Amino acid sequence: MSRRSALIGLGAAGLLVLSGCGGAPTSGGPASGEPSAAEAVYTEVTALTGTERRDRLVQLAAEEGNRLSIYTSMNADIADIVVPRFEQEFGIDVELYRADSETILQRTLQEASANFAGADVVETNATEMAIIASEGLTGDYAGEQRDKINEQFRYDGWTPTRFNIFAPAWNTGLVGADLVPRTWEDLADPKYDGILSLEVSDYDWYMTLYTHYQEQGMADADIDRLFADMVQGSKVAKGHSGQVELLSAGEFGVVAASYTYLTEKARAAGAPVDDQPFVEPVVARANGGGLMRSSEHPATAVLFMDWMLADGQGVILENGLTPAVMPDGTDPLAGHEVLPVDVQKLLDEGNEWSARYDEVVRGGEQLPEN
Amino acid sequence: MATVTTPPRSGTPSPAGTSAGGGRASIARWRDTLLRPRTLVAVAVTVVVGYLALVPLGYLLLTTFTDADGFSLGGFARAYGDPRIGELIGNSLWFAVGSALLSLAVGTALAYFNVRTDVPFKALFFAASIIPLIIPGILYTIAWIFLASPTIGLLNSLLEPVFGPGTFDVFTVWGMIWVEGLHLSPIAFLFMVAAFRSTDPSLEESALMSGATRVQTFRRVTLPLVRPALLSAALIMLVRSLESFEVPALLGLQNGIYVFTSRIYQVLRSFPVDFAGAGALAVGLLAVAALGIWLSNVLSRDHGGGTITGKGFRPRPIDLGRWKPAVGGGILLYFFVTVLAPLLVLLYTALLPYYRPPSAEAFASMSLDNFVAVFNLPTVPTALRNSLLLGGGAATIVMALMAVAAWVVVRSGIPGRQVLDHIAFSPLVIPGLVLGVGIAFVYLRSPLPIYGTLLILLIAYCTRYLPYGMRYAVSGMQTVSAELEESAQVSGAGWWATFRRVLLPLIAPALVAGWVYIFVVSFRELSSSILLYTPGNEVLSISIWELYANARFGELSALGVIMVLILAVLVAVAYKVGARVGLKSD
Repeated sequence: MSRRSALIGLGAAGLLVLSGCGGAPTSGGPASGEPSAAEAVYTEVTALTGTERRDRLVQLAAEEGNRLSIYTSMNADIADIVVPRFEQEFGIDVELYRADSETILQRTLQEASANFAGADVVETNATEMAIIASEGLTGDYAGEQRDKINEQFRYDGWTPTRFNIFAPAWNTGLVGADLVPRTWEDLADPKYDGILSLEVSDYDWYMTLYTHYQEQGMADADIDRLFADMVQGSKVAKGHSGQVELLSAGEFGVVAASYTYLTEKARAAGAPVDDQPFVEPVVARANGGGLMRSSEHPATAVLFMDWMLADGQGVILENGLTPAVMPDGTDPLAGHEVLPVDVQKLLDEGNEWSARYDEVVRGGEQLPEN
Repeated sequence: MATVTTPPRSGTPSPAGTSAGGGRASIARWRDTLLRPRTLVAVAVTVVVGYLALVPLGYLLLTTFTDADGFSLGGFARAYGDPRIGELIGNSLWFAVGSALLSLAVGTALAYFNVRTDVPFKALFFAASIIPLIIPGILYTIAWIFLASPTIGLLNSLLEPVFGPGTFDVFTVWGMIWVEGLHLSPIAFLFMVAAFRSTDPSLEESALMSGATRVQTFRRVTLPLVRPALLSAALIMLVRSLESFEVPALLGLQNGIYVFTSRIYQVLRSFPVDFAGAGALAVGLLAVAALGIWLSNVLSRDHGGGTITGKGFRPRPIDLGRWKPAVGGGILLYFFVTVLAPLLVLLYTALLPYYRPPSAEAFASMSLDNFVAVFNLPTVPTALRNSLLLGGGAATIVMALMAVAAWVVVRSGIPGRQVLDHIAFSPLVIPGLVLGVGIAFVYLRSPLPIYGTLLILLIAYCTRYLPYGMRYAVSGMQTVSAELEESAQVSGAGWWATFRRVLLPLIAPALVAGWVYIFVVSFRELSSSILLYTPGNEVLSISIWELYANARFGELSALGVIMVLILAVLVAVAYKVGARVGLKSD
């Protein structure tokens, strides 16, 4: 009996694993179709504006229990300022789950496939947001603040809350005025051999710049040569934050595509790094938020997005990040030539570009070491 | 409580597969056999271990061999179709074998000197055996960049006047082997200390008396005696280095050295995530591991079963004589290289606002700000408490289960028991994210309210560390001779009494070593923790990740230093308690 029960136990374990495996784990979710209860709320408040909208949302939020669950890849030190401000202003209790963007995506997809209402709002990188939206997991968000955002960045199913900007950064102790890059093409110059660092997974930056050159009428062969020359003699790093630390320490002289907020943070701590004036055109990738269709606190979710795109933007700006819309309603990227990372293209051709960038970066390995 | 039964041979055949003529008597006999405590306990443990390991393994296999249209081998085509896969595997093997050999050599030598000789500075062994385990891989690797980078390495600038610039280059395969090997050497050390404590030194003494030299004795007598532990450690180390991510990512990429895991990482970053591709790579590792376990068991069987016999013995330290200063110097050097230098770099980094090579200005800018900031992080107190709970819980549960599971595998004689060994090993090769997703998949659909609680993390940790627990317990069990159990049973002790009073104390050194290992490394588990934690249930590795993602290296180093201090104290306590449990600890 015991042995049989062992087998049954094992079988049951196996069955538990197999159960609900109708589709691939990344597919599924509360498939599109009927509008959800949350969507009804999203539609209802779309028509409202100003204080009327806010009052109604506050009232509904109270009915929902003044609770909210947010999944975000925003760094802790910023999120720990942004979220408490929101909580204090509205007396709402926020559950904040933080992880890297890939993990946010996995968790959201897994929960959706099991019809588990985890997050009310998901806030993360463009690619992951676009996938979540394309899976039909988010509802529509509309409002005055969204309309102020640069048109190039108004996506279906999600709304930018901040930008990550790629720009070269350099160690001011190691790099004299003659080595400060003025254009992206400068980085291909042999004078950067041995001091330039590229990041191993920056294929979105690569894709954007590559497409830009194509649009400028450059031949693919020339663009390939340009990137090959950049890679020539470069040092490849993994992770932007480690890259900036090693830039500060003097291991690298120039980082090709650093996140400007990381450079700024290091500079603020006294590290000898700089990225001003930005090399133009700047490459900008949005991070944004979406309202979940499965949300159990939909009005609270809308209230958060409204606040995030208004007062929240000031907090973002104060803390060294680039907001999606300036507190005075203007475009934070005005005055810069901006290359937006094409999110749809990333979704359609991302793997291809990732593989290509991988090949390009590996061009460095044929070199004799130093 | 022990039910006394007729003394069974340790290899009682299992009931399965019998169809011998019925009759009430034979049924009753079978029922008695099945209802014996030993059978019940063995079955219960098998079920739990099987369940823990099969959940992610089932998920892995399911996603690897299916796509939207059903059965598919597309994942294998994508994973192994890469034209560079040969080069990747070549690099991986070079790196993995190198690191495994280095850590085995270092760990074994240290363990031998510690247990068997009168080497000086024994107090340092404790720190040397634990601290590299505690320091997160990212920090340990970065500390080595600060030490041995040709551009900014401190060791290089110290040696520059003598040897010229760039004496060491950490950004090479040799550099990777060095860092990984040293980071892994505590595992080998823990394995081998337990093994050396359990072997009878009188055999070596006889060899020496018969005229063998010390080296001959070590090679021909000592090493064969500890072969089960050596094989277990080698297996774990090899798979661990094949899987290692931080070292190849931070050191290898800089000069374009790509390994297997870079590929898994890339596959897991593609959209939609190619679980089939990642799974195919993991299945490849699984095959290697299965081969390794099989080999290890075959070779341990030749070993003749057990060096702990009925004869009493107590390891007496060998007098090193004139070698004492040389060995002592070597120990000091090892301690400096693996513990002190990286720890000092961490401390130095923790005191600076940002890392820069030592200079008058650097020292002038030092402050305790980073330590203050760490204590002010809102999640750290909760995270610390949760990590302690989970680490202690997982280590205790895994080692308790594995003590029995090892008995099932090594002693029970139940047909097919080897399968348990293989299943328990499988979590080692499953990428953390896949393991996390597999567990989430099951508990999101389970009626039990486990998803979103600390319990799901406990389940994940127990699953992740099963393989280590199994290797520690099995290698411990293999050194105990079956005759001791038989004598106990002949003297009338039941299975439970024998297990508790004879076997457990004898394998206690191995169990304690496994416990310490799991407890310590669980503080670093990130990939499944980050997917499965919920707000309020943070663990320390999440705080580490947040600081890393945010480029707060000063605070990260401060947290590293604090973790080293806390865990070192706790592990010291665990050793004291363990020493009381074990029979022969010194």
